[in-house]
Amino acid sequence: MPLLKDMEPIVKKFYDGVAEGKYYGRKCKECGAIEFPPHLACNTCGYHETEWVELSGHGTLKSFVVPGIQNDKPYLKAIAPYGYGAVELDEGPIYSFVVFAGKKKIVKGLQQRLADGEVIGVHAKPIDREVPLKPGEPEMVHFSELCFELDEVAE
Amino acid sequence: MKVGKYARSVSIVGVGCTPFTNFEDHPETKGMSEGDAFGYAALEAIADAGLEPRDIQYFYHGAANPFMIGDSLTPNMQVADWFGVRGIGSVHHSEACCTGYVAMQEAAMAIASGEFDIVLSGAVDLAASLPVVGAPGHMRRDFPLEEMLPSIPMVYDRAYGRPLDSAFGISFDNWINEYRWTYGLSADDIDRALNAIAKSMRRASVLNPRGFYDVDFDQIAQANGMPDADAFLTSMMNPKVTQYLRVTGFETKCDGAAAIVMMPTEMAVARGLDHKVIDLLGTGSAAYEGATLANEKTGTIRGTKQCYELTGVSPDEIDLLFINDFFMAGDIVVPEEVGYVPRGEAWQYAIDGRFAFDGDKPINTHGGRCNFGHAHGASGIADIVEAVWQMRGEAGATQMKKLPKTTMFRGFGGGQNIRVQLIRTHE
Ligand SMILES: [Zn+2]
Repeated sequence: MPLLKDMEPIVKKFYDGVAEGKYYGRKCKECGAIEFPPHLACNTCGYHETEWVELSGHGTLKSFVVPGIQNDKPYLKAIAPYGYGAVELDEGPIYSFVVFAGKKKIVKGLQQRLADGEVIGVHAKPIDREVPLKPGEPEMVHFSELCFELDEVAE
Repeated sequence: MKVGKYARSVSIVGVGCTPFTNFEDHPETKGMSEGDAFGYAALEAIADAGLEPRDIQYFYHGAANPFMIGDSLTPNMQVADWFGVRGIGSVHHSEACCTGYVAMQEAAMAIASGEFDIVLSGAVDLAASLPVVGAPGHMRRDFPLEEMLPSIPMVYDRAYGRPLDSAFGISFDNWINEYRWTYGLSADDIDRALNAIAKSMRRASVLNPRGFYDVDFDQIAQANGMPDADAFLTSMMNPKVTQYLRVTGFETKCDGAAAIVMMPTEMAVARGLDHKVIDLLGTGSAAYEGATLANEKTGTIRGTKQCYELTGVSPDEIDLLFINDFFMAGDIVVPEEVGYVPRGEAWQYAIDGRFAFDGDKPINTHGGRCNFGHAHGASGIADIVEAVWQMRGEAGATQMKKLPKTTMFRGFGGGQNIRVQLIRTHE
């Protein structure tokens, strides 16, 4: 008999998936809405049961905020010019992510393009993160942070 | 979702508040511990209600971060003796910057349920300094930014919002950015509006003996060889630290405590206080984590709708609005969202100084989080205390021209909780 009835560690499967380039959500068995990132129950209709579904990792940008020194992250800037945005996945769920934009000039113009109604495609771009297991000590734990990138960067 | 009315009406009968300042910087407050501060505010509120500590039947204790800045896990246990209520039941709660509004809601529920008649709800945060761990409570040390910054993201979800690094980054600017583009404004329009609010709020804080600041932006400009407040506010001494917000658009971290005493309205009226009885009409509640879509806006809409439906009050009845503005963008977007000013005009109201305590649409008459000061968990109660003083006509140099009868609070904080509350002078 399993220790857990109708329950498993959701957050671990999500991050393990991101590390393998797989994007797992949970689909509501009643209304069909998708929880992404995944949770146990459905926040769209309040039904208790969801099931695993693998998502495309593709979506569109809904909003975009340009970081200043207060909300800038050096480890992100070291990768590429970025901002923070709400991303709507093609399968429907919306959540905020770090969004890489390729060039600084692109970052600056994104809000105007969104205001003009342009549909701006984005795709998953996981990055490797490491944090010390204990503060100040060398041993690190690793995880894959799910970020997104403008489709036009890859084109 | 429809919220039910209280099983019996509950009123605010006493209020108290310490100065909001850096306690270590002032000879009068230096060495004040959490117990001293909570006790001071509690006793002021109890006296204001015409009561003695022995009359309090139960109390709520709020603090945003008692583990880190109070060196304690059970702060309600640790302040009770300070104001003479040893032995009565109490509870601690912590909703970060929303704590003070939850404090009023919880106290009202405890009374409305019939479980208690006279409840004190207080909060304290000595947020300008850190405790010396292991030493007595009066010993505090400095609280540098590099020690504070790592604690801020702890209000966000440890599973996703934090490790995906989106909750913190998007929160400050996303609503004001949407507002800007909705109304075709420039970044400079937003900048002028925010700087104008900073001037209005600072003026109130300087005039308020409990406020953090003693000098206004004109004086700061003069001291730095600049022609006027605007020159200072737009200078490199006050840089933008997010896309829209300058240093003056963020909270002034400080020490403080505040408390209110509540009882059934019927009892308050029967007792015959020497000041007005203020009724809590109702509370709308919401909570959306920082990385969910437009969380501050979504939560404010949800809480406001509940509050209006519950109370039957319409926006044009609101005389005074408090907005938890630990980042100042809320002072533009919230007045419109709750219907206090027309859509698309709040930024112009700000520039015209109409949100000042002596304007026609006052907000945060004590100066708000960025200028009155932000003692995190205690600030919501300090808003309520200031509102009550305004409604009684006891606000001193910053008293509104027209005596307010109905006040709304848009509480916000803790990654983020929302409370939208209405209080009204009992007639
Ligand atoms: Zn559902």
